[in-house]
Amino acid sequence: MSPQQDTNVKTSTTKTIFWASGAAAAIAALLAVTIVLPAEFGIDPLGTGRALGLSELADANGGPLESSDTQYRQHNIEFILEPFQSLEYKYHISQGDSMNFAWRASGELIYDMHAEPEDMVSEADVPSYDKGSATNSRGSYHAEFNGIHGWFWENRGLEDVILNINAAGFFTATTLFRDGGSYEQKISASFE
Amino acid sequence: MMKGLVLACIALVSTGALAHTIDGNDANFIQDIDGPAIAAFMYLGAKHMVTGYDHLLYLAGVVFFLYRPTDVLQYVTLFAVGHSITLMTGVLADLQVNAHLVDAVIGFSIVYKGFENIGGFDRLPIKPNAKAAVFVFGLIHGLGLATKLQDFDLSPNGLIANILSFNIGVEIGQVCALSLIFIALSAWRTHSSYMRHALLSNTALMTGGFALLIYQLTAFLTTSIS
Repeated sequence: MSPQQDTNVKTSTTKTIFWASGAAAAIAALLAVTIVLPAEFGIDPLGTGRALGLSELADANGGPLESSDTQYRQHNIEFILEPFQSLEYKYHISQGDSMNFAWRASGELIYDMHAEPEDMVSEADVPSYDKGSATNSRGSYHAEFNGIHGWFWENRGLEDVILNINAAGFFTATTLFRDGGSYEQKISASFE
Repeated sequence: MMKGLVLACIALVSTGALAHTIDGNDANFIQDIDGPAIAAFMYLGAKHMVTGYDHLLYLAGVVFFLYRPTDVLQYVTLFAVGHSITLMTGVLADLQVNAHLVDAVIGFSIVYKGFENIGGFDRLPIKPNAKAAVFVFGLIHGLGLATKLQDFDLSPNGLIANILSFNIGVEIGQVCALSLIFIALSAWRTHSSYMRHALLSNTALMTGGFALLIYQLTAFLTTSIS
């Protein structure tokens, strides 16, 4: 046989090809189900991951600790919203960093928790995470991209509402949008 | 038998290190770069290729039955042109493709090559052109490379120089890896076991490809749900 024409195994019969391909798929599926999926995703349909101690690997992937390179900061601020006034308050957070927050209002406020990517081109790039009407909210937030992350609030009631915002985590600055202007404020780190 | 086992082991290792992304320290470094960093990006490109099991398995499949260096050159050039096109345009045009889906197709490309090597298409009514397939899968592998770079906020400052450097690094890494693969295969070819285990080796290759495919599809499904 001339080497340059020999681009595959010429001797394979249809049966061989069928069995070789089938075996490859079956072995791969077996390896995936018994070893890879339990270790990587914690998906363990046959219990082999537990038995072999692989499931801990999957747990480690999304483990309890999340370190940050950003300085830790704590911040709180208070605003008064007169009837039909609104404002936006956002924290500057890098991709992968988090903050814990709680806000409380003396009356019902319409709110929308959302984030704007640094390189925002259109409103379509603004994901909204939580919307509604409430007097308080709290939680922890994990930034999916570099940008500003926070809330829009509006007072639709007929009385002034005092709004208190509390946050701690790995932001660097805040931006207030109110009355058509935006005001950026650096926040100093807790330890520097 | 040993050689077949070695390939099977490669297939297994590839499933263990499947999440083949640019990791921790390199990732931080990339994001801090502002301006052209030619050597750094070339290094990262080469490193990505040399440690990229998916790309390596595919290349091993491509050169498995190529005996003459000129043939190797032809196929690898097609592959390189293919992945350079999509790597450059993917990053520059900011094409948004799902990395897991692309990696799943890359897994499929390995299965495809193994199937082609065992003569699978000889028994089918369709026999796609082997060179065209290498070029098309080159395009897909390039998209995969692009998604790895797109995971980062690359500074627009020096972006083109940096992507070009990354691309050149990828080619250097590819030549390094391919030389080793080709030398190893050439040495093995002098033994009679080569042809006897060609079927087994390519079945192992397909196994690795299927494993990558399943892994990436699972990753795609689990991440799109959450």
